[in-house]
Formats: sequence, C-alpha cells, structure tokens
Amino acid sequence: MASTPHIAVLGGGSTGSGVARDLAMRGFDVTLVEQGNLTHGTTGRMHGLLHSGGRYAVSDQSSARECIEENRVLRDIAAHCVEETGGLFVKRPEDSEAYFREKLAGCEACGIPAEVLSGREARAMEPHLAEDIDRAIHVPDGAVDPFRLVVANAASAVEHGARVETHSEVTDLLVEDGEVVGVEVEHASGPGLRVHGTEGGREEIRADHVVNATGAWAGQIGDMAGVDIEVRPSKGVMTIMNVRQVDTVINRCRPKGDADIVVPHETTAILGTTDEEVDDPEDYPEEQWEVDMMIDTLSELIPMLEEARTIRSFWGVRPLYEPPDVGSEDPTDITRDFFLLDHDDRDDLPGMTSIVGGKFTTYRMMAEQIADHVCDRFGVEAACRTADVPLPGSEDFDVLRDYMDEFGLQSPIGRRSVERLGSRAEAVLDTDGPNPVVCNCEGVTRAEVQDAIEGSGSDLNAVRIRTRATMGNCQGGFCAHRLAGELEDSYDEPTVREAWDELLQERWKGQRHALWGQQLSQAMLNYALHATTQNRDRDPADADEPVDFAAFDDGPSDAVDGHSGGSADDTGVATDGGRDGD
Amino acid sequence: MSDTDHTSDFEPAAPNPDENHEPTQVFGEAEEFDLRPGADSCYKCSSCDTSCPVAEVDDDFPGPKFQGPEQWRLTQTDEDYEVDESVMSCSNCMRCDDACPSGVPLSQMHNTTRGRYVDEQMSKLSVEYWRNRILANYRTSAALASKVPRLASFAMNFGPARWAMEKTLGVTSERDFPEFATETFTDWWQARGGAQVQSADKRVAYFHGCYAEYNTPEVAKALVRLFEHFGYQVAVPEQGCSGTPMFANGMLDDACRDAETNVASLSALVEEGYDAVCSCTSCSMSLRQEYPELFDFEGTAEVAAHTYEAVEYLRIHEDLAGAVAEADVDGELAEEFAYHAPCHARNQGLDRQAVELFRELDGVDIEDVGDSCSGISGTYGWKEEKYDYSMEIGEEMFEHMESAEGETGMTECPTCAMQMEHGTGYEVRHPLELLEAALVE
Amino acid sequence: MAIESEVVVVGGGLAGGFAALAAARGGADVRLLSYKQSTLAQASGLVDVLGYPPDGAASDGDGGPVVDPYAAIPDLPDDHPYRAVGVDGVREAMAVFDEVADRYRGAHTDRNALLPTHGGTVKPTARYPAGAAAGVASDDRDALLVGFERLVDFDAPHAAVHLENAGVPFEVEGATVAFPGDLAADAKVTRYAKLLDEDAPVETRSGGQRRARDALAAAVETHLGGAERVGFPAVLGDDDPGAVRESLESALGVPVFEVPMGPPSLPGLRLEDDLYAALDAAGVSMETGNPVVDYEPDGGADAAGRVASVSIDRNGAKIPFAADQFVLATGGLVGKGVGSDREGVEEPVFDCHVPHAADRYEWFDTDAFGDHPFARFGVPTDGDLRPLDADGDPEFGNLRAAGSVLGGYDFAAEKSGSGVSIATGHAAGAAAAEAVR
Repeated sequence: MASTPHIAVLGGGSTGSGVARDLAMRGFDVTLVEQGNLTHGTTGRMHGLLHSGGRYAVSDQSSARECIEENRVLRDIAAHCVEETGGLFVKRPEDSEAYFREKLAGCEACGIPAEVLSGREARAMEPHLAEDIDRAIHVPDGAVDPFRLVVANAASAVEHGARVETHSEVTDLLVEDGEVVGVEVEHASGPGLRVHGTEGGREEIRADHVVNATGAWAGQIGDMAGVDIEVRPSKGVMTIMNVRQVDTVINRCRPKGDADIVVPHETTAILGTTDEEVDDPEDYPEEQWEVDMMIDTLSELIPMLEEARTIRSFWGVRPLYEPPDVGSEDPTDITRDFFLLDHDDRDDLPGMTSIVGGKFTTYRMMAEQIADHVCDRFGVEAACRTADVPLPGSEDFDVLRDYMDEFGLQSPIGRRSVERLGSRAEAVLDTDGPNPVVCNCEGVTRAEVQDAIEGSGSDLNAVRIRTRATMGNCQGGFCAHRLAGELEDSYDEPTVREAWDELLQERWKGQRHALWGQQLSQAMLNYALHATTQNRDRDPADADEPVDFAAFDDGPSDAVDGHSGGSADDTGVATDGGRDGD
Repeated sequence: MSDTDHTSDFEPAAPNPDENHEPTQVFGEAEEFDLRPGADSCYKCSSCDTSCPVAEVDDDFPGPKFQGPEQWRLTQTDEDYEVDESVMSCSNCMRCDDACPSGVPLSQMHNTTRGRYVDEQMSKLSVEYWRNRILANYRTSAALASKVPRLASFAMNFGPARWAMEKTLGVTSERDFPEFATETFTDWWQARGGAQVQSADKRVAYFHGCYAEYNTPEVAKALVRLFEHFGYQVAVPEQGCSGTPMFANGMLDDACRDAETNVASLSALVEEGYDAVCSCTSCSMSLRQEYPELFDFEGTAEVAAHTYEAVEYLRIHEDLAGAVAEADVDGELAEEFAYHAPCHARNQGLDRQAVELFRELDGVDIEDVGDSCSGISGTYGWKEEKYDYSMEIGEEMFEHMESAEGETGMTECPTCAMQMEHGTGYEVRHPLELLEAALVE
Repeated sequence: MAIESEVVVVGGGLAGGFAALAAARGGADVRLLSYKQSTLAQASGLVDVLGYPPDGAASDGDGGPVVDPYAAIPDLPDDHPYRAVGVDGVREAMAVFDEVADRYRGAHTDRNALLPTHGGTVKPTARYPAGAAAGVASDDRDALLVGFERLVDFDAPHAAVHLENAGVPFEVEGATVAFPGDLAADAKVTRYAKLLDEDAPVETRSGGQRRARDALAAAVETHLGGAERVGFPAVLGDDDPGAVRESLESALGVPVFEVPMGPPSLPGLRLEDDLYAALDAAGVSMETGNPVVDYEPDGGADAAGRVASVSIDRNGAKIPFAADQFVLATGGLVGKGVGSDREGVEEPVFDCHVPHAADRYEWFDTDAFGDHPFARFGVPTDGDLRPLDADGDPEFGNLRAAGSVLGGYDFAAEKSGSGVSIATGHAAGAAAAEAVR
C-alpha cells in the first residue's frame, strides 16, 4: 500500500481509545470518533474496579487469567489511574463454605495471589466490616479511574498523530461496492475541541478500515451496514457514597447476585450492582428499588452504609455479547469474554471489524488483538508496545514530593492534584498566576481546570471527568459557576452559559437518585444558591422576551445612608424615567 | 497510590493480625469516634469559615472547613497522607461548631487532625513542640510556681528572663504572666475544713481547673460561698487539667492522662448524686463536649451529661433570676461592666447569660461588648509568632470595651480576662464574684 | 425545674428573629432558642418578597419578573403562606424590617428592584443593602465590575458580558485586579473584609506600604474608563461597610456598590447582626448553641392539646423551657427544620404533619430547575399559622409556625424566602403575644 492506512475507530470508551492508541503507536493514521465525551458510554459508568480476576475465578477462569495479567500491566502503564487498594472476598455465616473453598482454589488455579483471613483479620484491615463476617480471601483487586485512563489513552493516540473527535455521532457507514469505506458523522459542534453553540455539520470520514468499538451501541452501527451484531445490553446500578467506608474493594463471596461489591474510588466508595437486560442502551428505566437494594444488601457487609450519605447513583450498560447459538436466559450467565467480529469473514462485508463483549480491565488486551488483526489485514509488521510504554501521566513520578513548597498548595490538595495529574503535575501546576482552589470538595485548582479546558474545549462535563471538579459532596452546588467563570477567558458568554447549564443538568441527573436526608438538604441548598442567589432558573439572558427594566425600582433617590455617612445620596440617580408614576 | 517499582511480587499487604489492633492510640472503638457521619453532614457552605477569627487575620490559614471535613475527606485514600501543617494555626476557639448549620463536628475533627499532626509529623525535638508542650501543661508550671508564688510572679515577668523565653522558646515577651496567688484555692478549702453545708439532695462537685486554683482563688471561693448560700453541699474532687490547652496544641496523650483522672473522680461523685460545676467555661466545654468526642473512659458520657457551668446550673435549678432581681450591689463591685462572652461559653449557649441576668441587678450596669473573639484562645496568644494575630483579632473587643460605659471588664474565661486586661488595662471580674456580692452576705 | 417565659420561639433565623421581636414588642416576655447560626450566612443578603409567581407566569402575563409583589400576593394559591398573612400583614412586617434594618433600601417604592447577581444576571428583590443600591439594574449609568484574581466566586468580566446579554440598560465592563496585599490563594472573604474594615497597611508591589482602601482604588482606577459606578464582590467590610465604600467612592470619584454573593455572604451576616441588635434592644432572652429536641404536651382542656414545654439537649442533659405560647421557626430542609430519610419527610421537634408523596421519586422533577415538590416541603397551617395535622386540625392550640418550616411555597423559584420569613415570623410572634395578653 502506497500511503499509511487510515483507520476510523468508532467509540471513545476504553476499548476505542485503547485501539486508537495502539494503532497510532504502530504507525497507522487514526481517526477516533465518539458521539459524546470520552467515556460517554459504558466506560464512564462503571464501578472503577481493576479486577484481580477473583470475581471470575470460579465461573470463568479464562477471563480470570486475563484479568490478573492485565491487572499487572495497568499498574505499570497507568500508575496514575490506579490505586492499589487490594480486595477482599468476604463471607457471611450464611454464605456457602464450599463456594469459599472453590473461590480460593480458583484463584490459585488462575495465578491470582490469594490469602485467607479470619474475620478478625479482615476487620483489622477494614474496621467497618460487619462483626459477623467470618472469613475473607485477600486478592490484588484495585481501583481505577476510567476517565483518567481513557483521556490518557486518547492523549497518547494524539501524541502519535491520531485525530480524536468527540461529540461526533456516526450517522451512517459508507458502503461502496460491498465494502465499508468510511463513516459519516454529525459533529455536535465543529470538528476539533467541543465548543458549545458552534456550527456542527456533517463530515464524511473515508477510511481504509473501520473498527467498531462502540460497545453496547455496536449493534446499531452494524444495522447501518445491514449486519447483525447480537449485543445484549444489560444495565447495572452504581450508588456513590460521599466518603469511603472502606479502603479495600469488598466483594461478597457467593456465587452470583446483585449488590455484592463496594469499590473505594478516589474520595468516595461505589456500591454495585444489578444485572438486567435492556432493549436500548440509551433508554431504560432507572429505578428506586435498585438503589435501595444496594444500600440494604451491602449493609449486611458494612452496616454503616445504612445511615451513610449517598451523593448520586448512575447506571451503566454492559455490552454483553454471546454468539447466536448460546441463548442464555439470564444476563448474569452471559460470558464476560470478548469477541472480535471480522465482518469480511462473517458477513462478507470487508472494511470493518467489530469488537464486542469483554470488560474494562482487559481493554488493552482487546485493543492489542484488534490492532494485530488490522496489522494482518494491511500486512503491517509492527509490534504492540502498549503493555510497556506508560501512558501520559504515568511516566516516572513520585506522589510524595513536597507539593506545598513546590506549588504553594495545602498538602492534601497538592497531593490529590499530583495523584490525578501524575507525571504531568509539574507542567500543569507550576503556574505564574495565582492558583486558588476552584472545587473545594475534590481539591481542584484553577491551574488544573485551565489545563482541562485546553484539552476539552468549552465542555465542562469533560473538564469534570478530567479533574473531578463537581464530583464531591456538593455536586457542583458551590463550584459550577466558578467553572463557568474559568471558561470566560476563552469563550464568549452564551457559549459559557450553555456549558454551565449542561453541567448543572448532568449533576442533577445522578443526584436525583440520592434525594433524601443530607443529600436532599444539600440539593435544596444548591437549588437556593442557583435559583435564589444567582437566578439561573429564570435568567433574563435566557428569556425570549426582554425585561422591561424601566418598570422596576431604579434606586432610592433620597439614599441618605445612615451608616456610611451618605455616599449614595449624591449619585443623582439617572433620569431613566423609572421613578415616574410610582 | 502506585509505587513505580513493583515488578517483583505483588502479594497483598499483610493485614495486621494483632489481636489488640486499634486504629489509633487515643481513641477506643473505631466505630464510636468515626468521623464519616460528620464529614457526610458538610454542605460546603463555608459558614464556619466566616466565623473563624483566625482566617480573618491570617490568610495563610485556610479555615475550619478545610481543616475539618474537607481535609478529612481528601486524605482518606491513603494512610501516609500528610495533614497540612496549617492545622496548628487553629486557635481552638471552636466558634465554627456553633456556626455550622448542619452539625459537622468541626472541633472534633480539628482536635483529631491536630493530634495526628503532632503525633506523626511534628518533630519531637523542635523548639515549637516543647514550647507548645510547656504552654499546654500550664498546670505543671503553675503547681511549681505556686510553691513560691511571689518569687515566681517576679521571676517569670523579669525582663531578661522574658527576652530569653521569647528567643529560645517562642513565648511572646509582650505579655505579663499572671500573678500567682499566695494561697491556692485548695489550701483555702482545706484550711476552712471543706464543705460548710451538708445536703442529701443538693450536691455539686466543683471542677475548679488550674486558673482558679493557682491564680484567681477568689473566683473559686465565690463559687463555694454562692452554692452554699443556696444550700448545696460542695465537694472538691481530685482533678487535673481539663485538657483544653492540650487539645489546642494537639497533645492528646497529655490530655488523655488528665481526662482519665477527672472522669474517674467525677463519675464516682455523679453516681453519688452530685452534678459537676465549673467556673471556667473552657473547663465545662471540655468535660461536656470534648471528652465524649475524644475519649471513652467509663463514665465519660455520664460526666458530660451532669456537667454545668456554675451560673447556668443555678439558673436551671434555682430561681436565680428572681433572686438577682431582688438584690442590689454596692461597694467595690457597684460598677458598669464591659462584658465579653468567651467563645467556649458561646458554644455552650451561655453567651447571653450574664448580660440577661445582671441587667436586672440594681447597682450595676452591664454591656455586652459584642460577639467577637478575644483573640488569645488560651495558649494561642502566648506564641511569639501568633501574638500580632492575637491582638488583631482582639482589636474589635478592645474597641468595644473602650467605647462601653464601664471601665471594669467581666468574663467567665481566665485567658479572655488576660487578653482584656492586656488590651485595655481594665480590671476584669468573674460573674460569680458579682453574684457573691449581690446574694451572699 | 423549667426555665419559664411567656413566649418561646424555637429557631433563630429571620423568621424566629422577627417572631421574637414582634412578640417582645407586643409586650410578652420572650425567649428565643436557637441551635446554630442562622442560614443567613448562606443567603445573599437581599430581601426578596416575591420575584416570580409560583406558576412561572407573571401576573402581567409575560413570564418575566414581578414588578409589584404586593399586587401579586392576592393571586397566590390558597396554601401559600402569604395568604395566611395577607397583603397588609406583609406590609406591616416589612415596615418593621425597614425600621430594624436601616441599612437597607427599597422601601421608597412597592416595586421590585433588579439587582446584579454574582453569576452575572439580575434578580428581582424588594430590599437591598445600601451598599448594593448604586448597582440596581434599572439605573442606566454605565458600570465597571471589578473582580479579584484569587476570588473564584465572582468573575467580573464574565458577569459583565452576562449582564449585557440579560439586556441591562447600560454599558458594563469587567476587570480582574489583584487585591492589594498579595493575599494567599484561598483567603476567606472575611480576610478581605477585615483588611478593608481596618484600612490596614498593605505591601505594594513596588515594595512600599499603602492603606488597603487606597491601594484597592489605585488598582481599579486604571480600568475605570467611562464608568459612572463601580461594583465589587460583597467583601467591602464586615463591621463598617459604609466607611469602606465611602473611601473607595471618594478615591474613585464615582459611586461604588457591592454585588451580593453566595455563601459565605457578608451581607447576610450583617443583616443577622442588625436583627440580633434589635432583639437585644427589645429585651428578648436568647439561648443559643443547643438543639431543641423534644416537647412536653399539656393535656389541658383544649381539644387540640397544647405544648407545655420544649427541651434542649445540652450534651446529654435535657433542659426544659416552659411557656404559654410557642413559635416553630426551625427552617426548612437546609436549616434542618424539615428532615427526611428514604421513607419519608418529617418535622423533627413536634412531629408536625408534613405532606409528601409516599414515593420519594415523586419528590423531585427530572429537570434541575423543574417544579420540585421537595422545595415546597413543610408544615401546612391554618389562617392563624397554626400547623395542621393530616386531618386539617391544629396540631396544638398554642403552637404557630413561621419561615421555611412552612410548606406550600418554593422560595427559590419565587424569590420569596426572606419576605415569607419576615411576614410569617412577624405575624406568628404578634399573635403569640396577643394570646398571652
């Protein structure tokens, strides 16, 4: 082939961004398109567990082996996205002893380091575990920030020459002479960084090959070319606690079931989950019973959850896939394995490959296989290096540096920033101007926000996932307007206002599932701040009809200010006629 | 998070199999002092920050919200998280507790954070550590000094000695050390043969604290005479420091030692039907709020529920308002008083008590000089590097005192009294002294 | 032995304060019990009466802000607290407010004023601090807004353009300056205020010293252009805002105003100071710092039952306060006068009936600024402001409720929070004093 092959990667989740990075590193010309933000789909809606493989050690040992392998890789290449929390499989008295032994044996068989702890030992590690937990297995589960990981993959892809287009929805596959030759996308804003309010427009992106990494949406892409991809989307709820009740991943050691895991995630803990098949990955019911079940069932493991504050809940849709001949009734029986669908072989449709199924922890391995496959197609001989080259931010860095002195930040804020930014910390935080904290809950400073804006345009939700700003307990109540203010340097006011509103709506969406007790009081306070104090709900700038300013009080004419010694009385309030007709 | 070199093993970290595992030395059951519910209560509204007298004068101090729920939440991910050293600039006035509309236990969070900082991060060899330790353990120095009160009063305020203390220890030379009484309160108590009134159902145990013992026994004596006037049998139990200055300096081990003594002797008396009364509002604050927040000796909660500030106790149990309304004062205390409510009195809901009581008392006038902090906050204002801040915080109170009618100050807190004297030159009296003058022959 | 008074008011915010004041002025011996500082520190300090009608359409039909709140009150739904008080009741209460808070303006007209907000739009309000008076948006003088580079709550250039897009009848520019004295990055608003109150000497960038107010004026002067007034975030002094403003005005040669901000709000705290000074002057006794947790009923002849006393919890010790009449003014969801859990919504002190849907997913609207039922949670009352039980009978014969603990109105959408608190507080306190006589 004369020129570098151009590959269009569809989907900006972990798999898509992983594929884009891998292909770009191997020298391909890559364009990644994503309908929303990076992580918009399933990736941004997961519990943040970096599997040790323990969860699959009984039911699906090949997945378990892949998990432990990739677990090791990610600790190396994505150190700034991973927290090595360790995990426990805890057993309550009523849980099966036989299953506990099977779990232990399974871990050993799959090469997952596992150690049995007594109930007392488990409570020494996690003091809030229930008194009657009788045994536990300790495994190297971890916590991973999917946002940071995907952003880092995309950044690496861009460093290697890729083009990344977010907010660009695939509206059609271009099929010519029975071959996929590209995609048509609709840009929500113009190409490049997202800017609210800018013209979008359609674009034909011609490609030598298309990789469909759209997860739960893969079937919809397939439909555009008339091929059948039997994705079986299955929803699961995750409930976010305000603080961490545990610092170790807590799994319930029993065969399968809902509400059996708590993952410490950054400043929070995430309770999960349910497993219910849905028809449409975009439109499914989010139900109260699911949230209640998380709290009630997981309180059996960690009693303090019953009274603890949750700040929101969200649902993710697993892109489960099973080959057409299996036909599982229960979504929990569907394999977590991934499948590479070569549509040339499978459907006589050359030019496109789909990847379906799988799980976040093994995203890189999936990406490697699909990149190998693409290399084969084009006869390119290039080795995969994604297991060895650290992601941007995870190059050698030391989180224990003295941030206070270096960056003039209070030490926990400096430390949190460095944990988020990794090796980029110095470049981002070493700023000339003042660097006040913008989001107090998560300790996010102006420098970090500005860095995120450079990377994501006017999209405050993209700033959010990069920095965690607005993701703490006030859920943006106190910092949403500050973030809007930070956009001011680069964007015009209507653009800022639209981004601001979008952020408020997004924050409200998940919070609705936590509206009782403290979070309901917080929501009322936030509502009062945004509506009463800021008048964001009835902002005249948003209104169709202009306000008749002349009809309102134009200031006191006497204005003898007893306290100030009379400063307003000589101001001669303007003759705008407002006072006439009082 | 990650350490960059983990190529070898990644065996799970060995759990601590110690049978007696405890999260920290000072605290008992992890469950009981868990700060999670407190952190869950925070709105982030910053009401606490606006009430903080230190943040108003020291912009390097990031305020109680940061020191409390914010820092707590941010540092939860990892055991080796360092606490920001600015927590040592908190003066422990505890006004933030009162400001929070949502019940965040801010001072409890500050106390535990400060304790952790001192325990884990502060050099035990530093001058600052020892200076703080000496200030916090005022009782030890005072007990020694009171053996030779006149000499001590002279020596401690002797110019060259003060210069040396500032240079070597960082104790400001701007302030005069309080004079030591020639007879301590307990010497007086023993000399008079203890309680003069016996009662089966009206019994109070007097927690006098250090200052009334060594420096102002006249306040303690007034309390005894006043309670006996109302027919109470007074007991003076064995006691150490209440712990307030130790909490303020993160010396939780020291505080724990004295607290154990205090809870043991007071809970024994509570069981016999006594209630505890204090003449110092920081002492009552400590016994009723900080002890149950920080310690779990047997009887801690019972002591807290049975502890009162002395005047508060009489208001609740006697018709004090009625008695005061019928009384009058002449002589030395027939004055116009400029009253300052100590922050720790404010936190117990006692900030209005003296003003509301004495406005009905013939022969005296009392004027509230406002709700600002005096600025001394126990040991805070004694630190050389905090002295200017302390005086800046106090400025509002000084101005209000000077514009008030009276030229005698009044307050319940001994260190506020020091600051009031230091800033205005006024003599400062305790409400118990005035009540004694009004009600006791 | 209970501490006795004629009237006990539970809650120390605007509603409780005005209830205690009205009761004391009505001749009663009044005690105010409040747990924490009021939520005034969280409010902008503007005193709204009614900015928008509850159904979203203004009485003049254009969906815009209400011009005359008094004229709009009779059209409010029957269960709105203003209906219990009536237009005259609201006027009477506002007259007391004007007397107590003499640093407020707006009493010269019934019409609302539109004030700039720190987010950069305008909002309708009935009373505003004198310090904000030069900022009213119906005044057509050109304005300069000034922000401080480390104060993230007010972005002046953003607010300026936003205001223009809201259609204000004047030109407005925004400038960001360094606050003199090189404050630390996260200095609290009280630190800014203190420096200006004291007019403290601050280091200048050239190494000299200058007074804070002068230095601030100098920093702003270069940006002044043709502006005929200058707005700052509301940090211009805590104790003496008038003097701070006057210094800046004389240095800049134009009127100066504050733009009210969200929490922590100095204007809200200044209003609280004024309120408590009035309570002190009226002889109200006050107990603060401990929560009222319980009450004792008095099983008297009154069919509705009566409250005999309430108890505060002081670190485990219950201390009772007895009275003839009680006012409940503990606030709403934010002030925790209304509490909730996954099962339901309650009023925690007297366990008064709080109507709410059994399904908590019916407590909110799916839109962030939708019509939220939770915003109207609170106790329903009769025309005498007595809380009603589920059957519509008064819970107690001698208990009245005021302020955000009342249900039936969404103060955030209506911009009516302070007005309802003042009007119902005043009415409840006056009625309590009347009942004692």
